[in-house]
Amino acid sequence: MKSLISFVVLFWASLVCAISSSGDRLLVVLEDIAEKEGYSKFLGDLEGRGFQINYETPKSDSLRLFNLGEKSYDHVLFLPTKSKGLGPHLTPKILLDFINAEGNILLALSASQPAPTSLVSLLLELDIHLPPDRQGLVVDHFNYDVLSAPEKHDVLLLLPPGPLRPDVRDFFSPSAGDGSVIAFPSGTGQTLGSGPLLTPILRAPSTSYSYNPKEQAETVDDLFASGDQLSLVSTMQARNSARFTVVGSAELLSDKWFDAKVKKVGETKEVATANRKFAKLVSGWTFQEIGVLKVNSVTHHLNEAGQSNASNPKIYRIKNDVTYSISISEYVWDKYVPFVVPESDALQLEFSMLSPFHRLNLVPTSDDEKNGKVYSISFKLPDQHGIFNFKVNYKRPFLTNVEEKATVSVRHFAHDEWPRSYVISGAWPWLTGIAATVTGFLGFSAIWLYSKPATRSKESKKTQ
Amino acid sequence: MRFLSSFVTPLLLAAGAAQAASSWGFDDAKLTVTGKKPGGSKEKDVREFDGKSPFLSEPVKFDTTDTFKLKLKTQENGKGKRAHQAFLVFREPTSGLEAPFPLTVKDSGKATVEIKQSDLPIQLAVSNTPLKASLVIASFGSSQGFQKEIFDVQVIRDPISAPATYEKPLRYGKLQEIHHIFRADPKSPPKIVSLVFVLAILATIPSLFISWVVLGGNISHLPKALSAAPVAHGVFFGSLIAMEAAFYAYYASWNLFQLLPVAGIIGTTTFLSGTKALGEVQSRRLAGER
Repeated sequence: MKSLISFVVLFWASLVCAISSSGDRLLVVLEDIAEKEGYSKFLGDLEGRGFQINYETPKSDSLRLFNLGEKSYDHVLFLPTKSKGLGPHLTPKILLDFINAEGNILLALSASQPAPTSLVSLLLELDIHLPPDRQGLVVDHFNYDVLSAPEKHDVLLLLPPGPLRPDVRDFFSPSAGDGSVIAFPSGTGQTLGSGPLLTPILRAPSTSYSYNPKEQAETVDDLFASGDQLSLVSTMQARNSARFTVVGSAELLSDKWFDAKVKKVGETKEVATANRKFAKLVSGWTFQEIGVLKVNSVTHHLNEAGQSNASNPKIYRIKNDVTYSISISEYVWDKYVPFVVPESDALQLEFSMLSPFHRLNLVPTSDDEKNGKVYSISFKLPDQHGIFNFKVNYKRPFLTNVEEKATVSVRHFAHDEWPRSYVISGAWPWLTGIAATVTGFLGFSAIWLYSKPATRSKESKKTQ
Repeated sequence: MRFLSSFVTPLLLAAGAAQAASSWGFDDAKLTVTGKKPGGSKEKDVREFDGKSPFLSEPVKFDTTDTFKLKLKTQENGKGKRAHQAFLVFREPTSGLEAPFPLTVKDSGKATVEIKQSDLPIQLAVSNTPLKASLVIASFGSSQGFQKEIFDVQVIRDPISAPATYEKPLRYGKLQEIHHIFRADPKSPPKIVSLVFVLAILATIPSLFISWVVLGGNISHLPKALSAAPVAHGVFFGSLIAMEAAFYAYYASWNLFQLLPVAGIIGTTTFLSGTKALGEVQSRRLAGER
């Protein structure tokens, strides 16, 4: 009876819990299957959110990311492994193919083990750089935990990151206000290239730096990076919206640090770490449970009185008034909700041929029945004829890339759509001229046909 | 024993207090900015300061050809000791970007660093506001680290050489709105000008008829013509008027395919009736009445 009740409860619990929007098959790659006990809370949270987890070591023969051309897993979680390579089934090329097939990867590094070379090549491919010799430890002599690392200073206590920019929503701060911190124990920092696809989630404080404990224990002669340039948790979202996250410290995800008590140097109170919530947010973003957008529909129609307003016509005329609407929903943990664009950001429509003629901010209107928010705008088509595109190109850090394009022809005025000459005041003299000519012609014909010669009152001829 | 214990405790307390207050600092700091100017070297800018604030009040000038040298001695609790982290950090105030320059530290605590303007990252080298330089000296263990702003650095760029530009990398975000600027509608001259010319043209019609009358125009033979060939003349002149009416209808609403059949019929009528009507006119001419 008890097991039946618990089964029913669990069944319903799993139904209402979160689930990824892009599949639930998760592969965890670790050195030794027994290691998963050290991450039991994190993995348990993932299972509670609906993921089907498989555990494999890099050496196992049955590990295949692709089967007959299709992905066999939707997401991969890499925990630190001791071996230098990852085996023939996890080569950088296979991992890149996995990302190109819209697979998501969460990679956890550790300062105690150098990262495998295939992962380092993959990271280089994405322009994420690890310290030289694949080994580096991030320390901070001003923000460390006195309870666990009073001498080595390698457990950093970080404040929640906050929004990346004013126009980007904050996805990764665990609920603030209770003074909780994120513990980052013995991790490796990364530096990011300058492309738009790379975004840091958590940056190191300005006094921290990375050094190699084996070779730079006495003095830091060749500094890899320090301060803001050192990124502790970095992300890359590919153009097909596949997500790749590098978490510099795998211990951040371990049970020990999920509910540890820490005390920052210089503070008197102990606080609890917010690592569990932070891990939920980071894994939720990477595995497409938050920050996912979906376009429900795109419509455009003619907006002029007396004309048909059929949806999505293929041809318009120059200077027509048209209305464009797009409906977008956002996936939040387990359901789609209407997507609200952040305050200082704007969803923009470009009406462009080779370059945009109009770039207009779309205005949110109502919610439609598919849980999408409808954004629309009315505008006048340019006075250039040609083939145009209605283009919505919404790419933002941490949000799925939205690119919608609708192609229409825009024709010129037809011969009978021009204003008539009688409304053009400059044409009035010409029209009266025509009227005068017609009148004169008819009058002349009448006189010519029916006149009697006038009597010559004076003879103008010269007489001989 | 009792004698010993009476001053052991205060000693221990003092030791404990000293231990709790141990911190890193520096001393004997010397900042030298040497450079070359065309036409011999210019003066060295040498500043000496110690580990206690205020440090340097005047901003240090850093030109393109200058070499910036800082020598100091890191100290823990006043004794020279090697610090693991001894960085000179330049911060650009408007963007908040920081560039660290690690000092080479010896066992005794003596630390040096040498910086040229080409070592500065481009974002700091093109800055117009003075950079804030701070020192971070800290190491493992329980001693409190030292992090304070020391002085300002004014980066001076050589005005002759090509200006270095910093191109911001692409970041996704909202772009500027574009509103297409339409070509101006074709404009007519002021209506009054058109009206003046319309009136001028309208005035020609009566003046034409009046001049005809003055020159002796008349339609006195109309009854005679009508009695001679009423149908022909009526249809002929009527068809001329009908043709003009057809052209007016074409202007107002008809299209070409509506006009052409009508014009064809009217034209044929004009031709057929015209033979008779003009024949009558010819007869009048031959009779000498024209």
